[in-house]
Amino acid sequence: MDTLRTLLSRIASLFRRRHLDADLDDELRSHIDLAIEENRKRGMTRQQAHTAALRSFGGVAQAREAYRSQRGLPILDQFVRDLRFGCRQLLRSPGFALTAILTLALGLGANTAVFSLINALLLRPLPVPHADELAMVTLRRSGDSELRFSFTYPVFRTLEKRHDVFQNIGAFTQSTIQARGSSGNVNVPGNLVSGQFFETLETPPLLGRYLTPQDDQKGGASSQFGVVISEGFWRTWFNSAPDVVGRTLVLANSPFVVVGVMPRSFIGADPTNRPEIYAPLWAEPIIHAPYNNIASGYHSTWMRVITRRNPGVSLEQANTALQTETNSVLEDSVSDPEWLKGMHSQHAQLGAEPGSTGYSYLQHAFAKPLTAVFALCAAMLLLACLNLASLLLARSAARERELATRLAMGASRRRLIQQLLVESLLIAVLGTAVSIVAAPIVSSALAAMVLGRNPGATLDTTLDLRVFAFVAFTAILATLLIGLLPALRATSKNLNEQIKSGSHTASAHERKRVLPRVLMGLEVALALILVVGAGLLAASLTRLYRTGLGFDPKGVVNLSLDMGKQSLDGDPLTRWYQSYGDALSHQPGVKNVSLASITPMDGDIWTRTYRSALSGGDKDLHMNTVAPAFFETMRIPLLAGRDFRWSDSLASGRKIILNQSAAKLLFPDRNAVGQQVSADKNSYEVIAVAGDIHYASIREPAPPEAYIAITQDTGHKSSYTVVVRTDGQPAPLAVAARSLAAQMSPEIPPPFMISLSNQLDDSIRSERMMAMLSIFFAACALLVTAIGLYGTLSYATARRTSEIGIRMALGAQRLQVVAMVYRENAWIAICGSLAGLAVASLASRALSSFLYGISAHDPWVLIGSVAALIFIASAASLLPAMRAARIEPMAALRAE
Amino acid sequence: MGDSKSDVLQGTLDLMVLKTLESMGPLHGYGIARRIEQVSGDTLSMNQGTIYPALLRLEQRGWISSEWGTSETNRRAKFYSLSRLGRKQIEEATENWERVAATMARFLAPS
Repeated sequence: MDTLRTLLSRIASLFRRRHLDADLDDELRSHIDLAIEENRKRGMTRQQAHTAALRSFGGVAQAREAYRSQRGLPILDQFVRDLRFGCRQLLRSPGFALTAILTLALGLGANTAVFSLINALLLRPLPVPHADELAMVTLRRSGDSELRFSFTYPVFRTLEKRHDVFQNIGAFTQSTIQARGSSGNVNVPGNLVSGQFFETLETPPLLGRYLTPQDDQKGGASSQFGVVISEGFWRTWFNSAPDVVGRTLVLANSPFVVVGVMPRSFIGADPTNRPEIYAPLWAEPIIHAPYNNIASGYHSTWMRVITRRNPGVSLEQANTALQTETNSVLEDSVSDPEWLKGMHSQHAQLGAEPGSTGYSYLQHAFAKPLTAVFALCAAMLLLACLNLASLLLARSAARERELATRLAMGASRRRLIQQLLVESLLIAVLGTAVSIVAAPIVSSALAAMVLGRNPGATLDTTLDLRVFAFVAFTAILATLLIGLLPALRATSKNLNEQIKSGSHTASAHERKRVLPRVLMGLEVALALILVVGAGLLAASLTRLYRTGLGFDPKGVVNLSLDMGKQSLDGDPLTRWYQSYGDALSHQPGVKNVSLASITPMDGDIWTRTYRSALSGGDKDLHMNTVAPAFFETMRIPLLAGRDFRWSDSLASGRKIILNQSAAKLLFPDRNAVGQQVSADKNSYEVIAVAGDIHYASIREPAPPEAYIAITQDTGHKSSYTVVVRTDGQPAPLAVAARSLAAQMSPEIPPPFMISLSNQLDDSIRSERMMAMLSIFFAACALLVTAIGLYGTLSYATARRTSEIGIRMALGAQRLQVVAMVYRENAWIAICGSLAGLAVASLASRALSSFLYGISAHDPWVLIGSVAALIFIASAASLLPAMRAARIEPMAALRAE
Repeated sequence: MGDSKSDVLQGTLDLMVLKTLESMGPLHGYGIARRIEQVSGDTLSMNQGTIYPALLRLEQRGWISSEWGTSETNRRAKFYSLSRLGRKQIEEATENWERVAATMARFLAPS
């Protein structure tokens, strides 16, 4: 109680310091006056009375000081004094301060940005109650390299009924839903969810109710399927109408009824998605028309399964339970004995993985690249800290005498270290402030890179508590890294030694300079590691881009059309496509137009087995359905035969075009053109052989591929992508394509446009992200190292001015002086590079899984990196060396 | 400084101040210092200035309060007076002192 009251009173006094000081002075004055008065009464003279009063009082200054330290918080006072001193110290050399703050901001900012991305994608739990109870159901098969998170409809429906370890089991699948608004159909990001999905996530709705198992049955809960919409959708689409529940929403040209609105905080179970509409799983055939994944049964895997564990059931127990149930679940779901045998031979096993962060395929695709990038950031931060430590060390060498004198005069070492640490804290805090401002911009740019051009994908990278904790941790770590070593170092000497040695004794000089050299050497080594990493990743990316794709992406634009829910089908739809292509080909700048069901690297893979008289059994071919002029548009060479024609109808016999690999596979050592191949009881005439192209991945070699004609497509309401080669601007083309589509078919949503080059970039975006970031870090590392080498050498040389003066007075040539100074850093650079090279050759193995067409020990990259570092180091060292050579011996000696 | 004079023992000054205020009523710092000197005779060596941090300490604990006023000779001075908490503190501290003194006396008594 007493202590608390004292503390409060002390804190309160901090804010009235000036007033209290004046008050104390008044009181002390009145004390002396009273004493003088009494002394005078006793008969002393004025002078005597005054002296006696002061004598009996004791030291006025001491009393005042004791009073003050009793009044305020001495530790805080001291801290404020140190802070002021630190500010003055920084302001005295603004160049140093700016460099220090910016390099640190760079290191800290990069770490914060990447960490907030990692946080958003991999660490932050879903904003639902008790997210830690969530788990994702997985399937492991012996042939797979990775766990599968995707399930078929029958398996999920069996799982859904099991509640031994789970409270609820829900399924969700990302889906683009056509919603009818005032201006026609629009694509809206949505989710198809099973009956228990919302119960699993436990988030109460904002309005109405959420979907329940009653909604997820044939025909829905009542006459129509119910849907739940997001708060954002409710505000924009329904203008926040309070009576939205019960209203009709036309999705995929069918009426649905809105049963509830979910609050803004609810984002579903995928952190990279913001669904606007949640429709029941049973409505899938309507939403996905003309496709029907439910009818495809166990042939189609299309949903993720998320569960909430029963209280007291650990993830481990849930995992074991699922493992042991695997066979019974599979047998209850699928009756095909062949399929079951297949699953059995692959040792199929269900399992449970942590689900608190929900599921996104990006989590798995980017976990490794992001970890690698995070390691790069940490190396960058360490480098920045080492650099600052060296600079501070060099700077505090200039203050050694001052500090030694203060130690000798009774300052405690702890006190001095504290003061020096406050200085580095100041740098760290300012650096952190800059980095916190910059980090959100960088992390949202990085998030855009991770997400690619997926429509509807977002990632919330705002700074949350976890990021701030991380920032605070790194800032403190940086402060200690920067400040502790120089502070310990600068206060280690006693005055005696200091005064004896002065600043010129050669031996002391040598010994003192080992530590800074080691620090700089480490920095050079670290920089080399970063440069080697960047070199490898960049070379690998260049190789990816130089890979012969088999087609020319430059100037090609893709327009994907969604024709699944309009009224045309069969030949009329084919004619629609033909006339849409014709209309586009008349746009300015357009050279060729064609159509394809799959465009290179769009992520889709479609395969079918074919056989020929010579193939010796079925061969798996990658497939594509294309319109005439596809090869011309893509600049894929036709090696023999002729292209498809719009007149190639089913009646004129099925035609097929093979690529070179497929032709070799089906007709070894034989001209394929004119031959027959068969699939599914149908026979096709090979009319041409085309060049090989990369199909779904730049990394993987071109697969054997077959093309069939759009005019012979037997599918229903197939959606195609228009491929346009143009040398005009893409923007006006997009406008024209949209208005043409709206004119010719008002029911379809506007086509989605992406250039083929962007699509290719997207397909290797993790490689691009890593290469770009590592090049950026390597460039920064080189710059920072150059600054460090330059700065420390400048300080060191400045302190050697008189020594150099003496050498020159004794006859040293200017060139010799240059060599002498330059040699200092040359050794650091060479030793650092060697150490870095040794570590890099071990560490680069960790990168090898990211590399394409280049060894982790590529000699050119290693040699180039060392050369770059030596060059930078030389450039940074020559300046101080030349400055040293310009020293006038007389001036230097006189200054002593 | 002779051997007969002793330094003010830590903690005793607080009680002396409180006791002074109890017997004399509200008093300024100079008055308190003089009174302590007089009561202790010449056995105590004390700089009058040390009274002020002690006064502040007591005030921070809420045992005394202060107010500017006028002295008997018409001088402006800060007067200190005992609070209710201070009176309670005197009782506690006195008891404490008596116990310590009695213990010490037993040790020092010839056996």
